[in-house]
Amino acid sequence: MSLTDTPPLSSAAAGSAAPEERAAAPAPGRGAHGGVKGLFERHALLLLLVAVAVFFSVLPASADVFPTQENLSVLLGDRATVALLALSVILPLVCGYFDFSLGAIAATSSVLTAGLMSFHDLPLGLAMTAGIGVGVLVGAVNGLLVTRFGLNAFVTTLGMATLLGGLVQWYTGGQTILLGLDPRLAEFGSTTLLGIPQVVYVVAVVAALLWYLLAQTPFGRSLYAIGSNPRSAALVGIRVQRSVWSTFVLAGGIAGLVGVLSLARAGSATADPGTGLLFPALAAAFLGATAVRPGFFNVVGTLIGVLFVSVSVSGLTLAGADTWASPVFNGAALLVAVGLSSYLGRSRGVRTV
Amino acid sequence: MTQTTDPVANASTDAVLRVAGLTKRFGATLALDRAELELRPGTVHALVGGNGCGKSTTIKVLAGVHRADAGRIEVADQGWEAGHYDAKAGRAAGLRFVHQDLGLFPELSIAENFALDAGYPTGPGRRVRWGALQRRVAQLLAAYEIDADPRTPVAALRPAQRTLVAICRALQDSEADRQLVLVLDEPTATLPQHESAVLLDAVRRRADLGQTVLMVSHRMPEVLAVCDDFTVFRDGRTVAALVGRRPTERELVGHMTGTAPADAVDGGTTPAVPAHDADVVLAVHGLHGGPLRGVDLEVRRGEVVGVAGLVGSGRSSLLRTVFGEHAPGAGTVTVRGSGGAVAAVGGVRARMDAGVALVPEDRAGEAAFPELTIRDNLSAPVLRRYRRLRGMDRRRERADAAALVARYGVRTPSADAPLASLSGGNQQKVVLARWLQRDPALLLLDEPTQGVDVMSRADIYRTVREAAAGGCAVLVASSDLLELSTLCDRVLVLQDGRVAAEATGAQLTPDSLTALTQSSAGAPAGEPLGAPR
Ligand SMILES: Nc1ncnc2c1ncn2[C@@H]1O[C@H](COP(=O)(O)OP(=O)(O)OP(=O)(O)O)[C@@H](O)[C@H]1O
Ligand SMILES: [Mg+2]
Repeated sequence: MSLTDTPPLSSAAAGSAAPEERAAAPAPGRGAHGGVKGLFERHALLLLLVAVAVFFSVLPASADVFPTQENLSVLLGDRATVALLALSVILPLVCGYFDFSLGAIAATSSVLTAGLMSFHDLPLGLAMTAGIGVGVLVGAVNGLLVTRFGLNAFVTTLGMATLLGGLVQWYTGGQTILLGLDPRLAEFGSTTLLGIPQVVYVVAVVAALLWYLLAQTPFGRSLYAIGSNPRSAALVGIRVQRSVWSTFVLAGGIAGLVGVLSLARAGSATADPGTGLLFPALAAAFLGATAVRPGFFNVVGTLIGVLFVSVSVSGLTLAGADTWASPVFNGAALLVAVGLSSYLGRSRGVRTV
Repeated sequence: MTQTTDPVANASTDAVLRVAGLTKRFGATLALDRAELELRPGTVHALVGGNGCGKSTTIKVLAGVHRADAGRIEVADQGWEAGHYDAKAGRAAGLRFVHQDLGLFPELSIAENFALDAGYPTGPGRRVRWGALQRRVAQLLAAYEIDADPRTPVAALRPAQRTLVAICRALQDSEADRQLVLVLDEPTATLPQHESAVLLDAVRRRADLGQTVLMVSHRMPEVLAVCDDFTVFRDGRTVAALVGRRPTERELVGHMTGTAPADAVDGGTTPAVPAHDADVVLAVHGLHGGPLRGVDLEVRRGEVVGVAGLVGSGRSSLLRTVFGEHAPGAGTVTVRGSGGAVAAVGGVRARMDAGVALVPEDRAGEAAFPELTIRDNLSAPVLRRYRRLRGMDRRRERADAAALVARYGVRTPSADAPLASLSGGNQQKVVLARWLQRDPALLLLDEPTQGVDVMSRADIYRTVREAAAGGCAVLVASSDLLELSTLCDRVLVLQDGRVAAEATGAQLTPDSLTALTQSSAGAPAGEPLGAPR
């Protein structure tokens, strides 16, 4: 490049040649890193996913079961809730806030939905609305505490998670809620459509909506601006507090939906603090931030992240690994992902941690 | 390496720092292309050149932040191939850096800031010997003629003093038998004029005592007044090395641009006389809030009004309040913007809708989205323009970004590069372009040309004048009085939170503005400082 420091306006030609070449390139959502290296960086996780899938498809210990349609169907169905939770996790993360309570919100929603049907004989629709509604409500409270009162998001949501965990214990008396549930819910959770579990379609729809919201609307774009520099964001007319609050509310609502889906999938609600769901979701979200749009949390990357973690764990299990293999893998993936994104140096990390 | 004094002839063996053939590539950008630099001991050496010509990159290579692809670095009697040079080597050889953010801890005392750098003196049981620390720091401060108590928190110091403390701290392990080289990247870019004079005086005095200094600056009068030697970069190459003689500003700028210098280098605009019956776009009455104590002013269509004042006089607060960021404590701000939209109340959004734009003072803290692309940075205040049902109109956004990058001469291979990869001055151009693309009805500029090179500055002045000619009202706060006198139709002087004086016509010279700003203000030492960041 031999761009000169010549005055602008008068000698625009020299400076404009390169940008215009780029402008014509029809690659929406592309990061700044052209060339082979950037291309590889964006697709590394996808390649890794394919590699892992191929590996377990040929590995003698898992080759019989792993590549079958049944296994894939079970795998997708089982991981649908994690995928959805991971999608909710990235919303506040895009703005630079950590919501640690989303797993607990899902657990609360699941228990409440089940309890309302089982203990109070409420109809399914009402119970589901209450489950999702409680997620929205808790998200709104979290958002208010973090934006209006300026509390540290990590500590606030950790406190909220603990509190919700306790309430779940109290509400269920530590018992699993199994009886008196509307059978239509469990049926929805266990049947497939075109060979794919129905819950997966719910994830697909939510993912599509979120992708549109984050990548294709001024609102979503301004969330990334907030994540980059909230002071600058306020001075270009972005309503920072309100936007951050909305991400907490939206994330809470999606986590509420996760609760309903996991109830549908399991057919029962256990008194569980929800962290078992949250950690793989976090791992997927951070893995996703190394892909597609490296350095930024994004919907497609997150989905690839979920698939990568799920396929690896499923393969390991089929290959005969013990139950501890799954959390070890999740933890390691999370560490690698966080390390990688700070190594790439483009992820600012999460301000509140 | 063509013009003037042949640097090779002067390659006397006593150079304290010599850089040869330094090359550094960032992806598609060749930031340094066999650059040369040579410092004589005991001199203040200016490194100058247009935005993005590689000055900061050179300094970052010397500091070990970046590793050069090729070249040779020699400090005193040691030498390295650039590939083997790192931060530790530079430090051991005696290079000391003061970066623009100074790296001080504002809440801590001066003494503690020194100790955090060099370690606390400890007595038995690793107890900190505060007395010894304070005595040592007091001696150093005295040696550098900094009039401050070691126990003062850094935040309470005047801006120039803060920079001096950072310099003094960087040089604290200097010994009589060892020459340290002090490197300063744009030390005065964010300082008001009189503060930078204080700082440069001090630097000059250190050099007269034998200190070697390398400094980068875009303020030509400054470097011409204080520096002994000059190295000019253009496109990552050394195009001139002027040793031991002061060039004229024209000559320096000529080297920077590579063309015969034109006369119109700094502005060269004759202020248009605004029609007096032109509509009042901005009316401020009895404005209180923060440092403001009853500001009254009006800005009409097509008028460029400057705001001068000492540190703490409330220039930035005034602009921010007008932009709706702060609600006024008392008084009114009325903006009669584009299409007759009137905004008297409301926050930033309402003001923006009325056509108000603000280029804030603190670029890194309040204007930049460093990780986002240049395109994202440009479109941030106009995102709604690109909204369609099928999603954001990226094609149009890209085309707009490319056009702005070209129009404002932003030096980058692509508008899809992250903003952080731009040089400082080029980032400032992006921020200006971000707001000028909105064709604002009222443009608020706070130190608009900080870090911008001389050539681009003239272009920015021209662009602002063009906007004004198109009906925009402009309010500029600047501590560069030459800038105000070049750019403005009239200049208001803020003092103690009020408009204390107004300069028009023949009074619009840097000298008379200096007199107006300083008069009756007394010593600026007791001024409340701008909010510490
Ligand atoms: N980390 C980076 N990644 C990519 N490009 C970079 C990076 N740092 C600098 N550059 C590019 O290298 C060139 C030189 O930049 P540098 O910061 O040295 O300029 P400068 O002379 O200090 O300019 P200014 O006067 O504006 O501060 C620029 O084109 C810049 O965009
Ligand atoms: Mg620079």
